[in-house]
Amino acid sequence: MNVSAGDVIHVARLAELAVDEADLPVLTAQMDRIVGFVAQLAEVGDLGEVGSFVAGPDRARLRPDRVNPVPMALTPAAIAPEFIDGFFVVPRLLVMDES
Amino acid sequence: MSLRAAARAVGKRLAAAGHLNATLAWSDAELAAEADRVDAMPARGPLHGVPVALKDNIVTTQQPTTCGSRILAGYVSPFNATAVERLRAAGALIACKTNLDEFAMGSSTEHSAYGRVHHPLDLARVPGGSSGGSAALVAAGVVAAALGSETGGSVRQPASFCGVVGVKPTYGRVSRYGLVAFGSSLDCVSVFGRTVADAEQVLAAISGLDPLDATTADRPPLRPLPAPASLDGTTIGLPREYFPEDLHPGVKAGCAATIARMKELGARIVDVSLPHARYAVPTYYILAPAEAAANLARFDGARYGVRATTDGDVRALYRATRGKGFGPEVRRRILVGTYVLSAGYHDAYYNRAQAVRARIAADFAAVFASGVDLLFTPTTPTPAFKAGEKTGDPLAMYLADIFVCSANLAGLPAVSIPVGRFEGLPLGGQLMAPPFEEAGMLAHAATLERHLDATREVAP
Repeated sequence: MNVSAGDVIHVARLAELAVDEADLPVLTAQMDRIVGFVAQLAEVGDLGEVGSFVAGPDRARLRPDRVNPVPMALTPAAIAPEFIDGFFVVPRLLVMDES
Repeated sequence: MSLRAAARAVGKRLAAAGHLNATLAWSDAELAAEADRVDAMPARGPLHGVPVALKDNIVTTQQPTTCGSRILAGYVSPFNATAVERLRAAGALIACKTNLDEFAMGSSTEHSAYGRVHHPLDLARVPGGSSGGSAALVAAGVVAAALGSETGGSVRQPASFCGVVGVKPTYGRVSRYGLVAFGSSLDCVSVFGRTVADAEQVLAAISGLDPLDATTADRPPLRPLPAPASLDGTTIGLPREYFPEDLHPGVKAGCAATIARMKELGARIVDVSLPHARYAVPTYYILAPAEAAANLARFDGARYGVRATTDGDVRALYRATRGKGFGPEVRRRILVGTYVLSAGYHDAYYNRAQAVRARIAADFAAVFASGVDLLFTPTTPTPAFKAGEKTGDPLAMYLADIFVCSANLAGLPAVSIPVGRFEGLPLGGQLMAPPFEEAGMLAHAATLERHLDATREVAP
């Protein structure tokens, strides 16, 4: 057994993800199988000094250091639920209300 | 001649294909507006009037971008993806957004919040995934080409199931700007076409350096090469790890017939080994969920899409929104990704997978350095499977990607072409090439395509 129900509850908390208690047994069994499967990488043995593989170019071309307008189809005001005096208006956080 | 008539015809075909559930957003009015936009262009582009569908994880300003998820229901991007801007500049007619596995996580397009996509040749079967909607529309002849995305084979696998061409470019060949991130070190905008030439034209139009994506390579856009008359002088490697004893008899027969045809065309066929290939799926299912767990953290109910109602604090809002907004497969992958990155497990899983990924890439580099020009393998271990067959067993679903995900891990270009049929279902064969050798790979794929009867039934 690689993964317990307690592990699932722990990582769900880390991932900010609500998990229904009713789903927990099946989810735990599935995660246990998946983690058990990927654990076969232990078989590869000593990997020695292998650097990480980095996809993409070794280096990116430097661009002139200037501010360009971002090609937006909509203005920030059109995206915002509320936009007043150049600022997005956001709801107060509930924890702040309580204090 | 106005493109309005062509746009109306696309609308009729989209309506007729409604039973496939392959589209998420399209309208006759948008098609007409697209026709007018292309008509008004001062010069004809290379894709003038060509209808192209877009997987719904590629952002557009004209339609919502849902990623097949409830959490992004109704979300409209304020900008177009670079690939979309380039298609528009080339004169393509943006036809629709296509259904997909939620956030591109899946191999059957059954994990969409908007219902599963049906295989165009057998509605009881899946079209593959995660770009199943795009594949189904090209296979059904609704559009000439479509964009999909690959993180672990999500274009080549459905291309194989549906009997169309699917091309995954080298990582960095096409900008990821505006492709909703899943696994950022693996994601590639990729292309479906009815033929290799169709797919290549679209790939050429969208490829090239993009200042908005620092991981694009500083190279000119892809320039297609003419297909050679034969495969004389070409060395094609058959990695023995991709041809196991228990390979599906239809897939085995389709590959054997293709290899025989490659020999007839003059190719030198050699056996090669990619010793770490057997670890590609476990490596992928550590790295991709780890990157997904980080990338999908932004969907929290505060910034995008829908928000759950809750009486608790802001963390309760995040948890409730994410718990209800994400479907089961996405939740599973976020949990696995968080697990392999968590304290105590990071070294054993994530760091080890990074090291094995380097070994997998090194195996490919060694084979290509030994004089092999291209590798040939089956694209999928079986033809299209029945809907519901693997949804209860995530691991069985993951193994559907066994032959495709190593190209993503190594950042290599690869193409799946139809090579025959088994019991009426399409079979795909895959060519893989060294980085940035798409032009040669596709030229050889086009030669092979010309000499294969993709609708021919193979005999095991």
